[in-house]
Amino acid sequence: MPRIAGIDIPADKRIVIALTYVYGIGKALSSEILKEVNIDESVRAKDLHEDQLSMLGAYIEKNFSIEGQLRRQEMQNVARMKSIACYRGIRHKLGLPVRGQRTKTNARTRKGRKKTVAGKKGVKELG
Amino acid sequence: MSRSIKKGPYVDSKVMKKVLKQKETGSNEPVKTWSRSCTIVPEFVSHTFMIHNGKIFQKLFVTDDMVGHKLGEFAPTRTFRAHGGVKKKETPHG
Repeated sequence: MPRIAGIDIPADKRIVIALTYVYGIGKALSSEILKEVNIDESVRAKDLHEDQLSMLGAYIEKNFSIEGQLRRQEMQNVARMKSIACYRGIRHKLGLPVRGQRTKTNARTRKGRKKTVAGKKGVKELG
Repeated sequence: MSRSIKKGPYVDSKVMKKVLKQKETGSNEPVKTWSRSCTIVPEFVSHTFMIHNGKIFQKLFVTDDMVGHKLGEFAPTRTFRAHGGVKKKETPHG
């Protein structure tokens, strides 16, 4: 299995798809990168040359933040917003949607599993 | 849609004028404002603002981290007062 950009080990898929296994690279960025380093998208990851692989890895590490570095950046951004207590920071602290979504219904991803409240409309009274 | 870059950040001219005047005189009195949509620019750092939230003015001391945000982001307009007494039954202590 080839290794790209340090720790990541994509499978024997086409290289465009294999690259998306790296955290921080999606399909769009993947094809952009391949165009930049002149590698055909449909080559299987295992069929790539050693020097092609190292070139890819070097290009990615030079131009984009991926994996741990990206995760750290994201966490720092959230921590910053929390510390200055701006609206988005407050929403992060409360565990509610940050981007203005409705919370009357849905929003279950942020709020976690339903907490049933007895006596609320639509809930049968428990003996 | 976000604001056109060509225009630059929106800064309320009256707030800006007050801050610049304070810089000259060196006073550090809070700037009272209703302009919640005004962007915080580097000139505002270490000044104090009183931002209207629809009801009262909330005090805010601006630090460098806040540059780029809007004044209104720091004065919440809604108050949430916990949901009903269900929790009391579950944890009976006191």
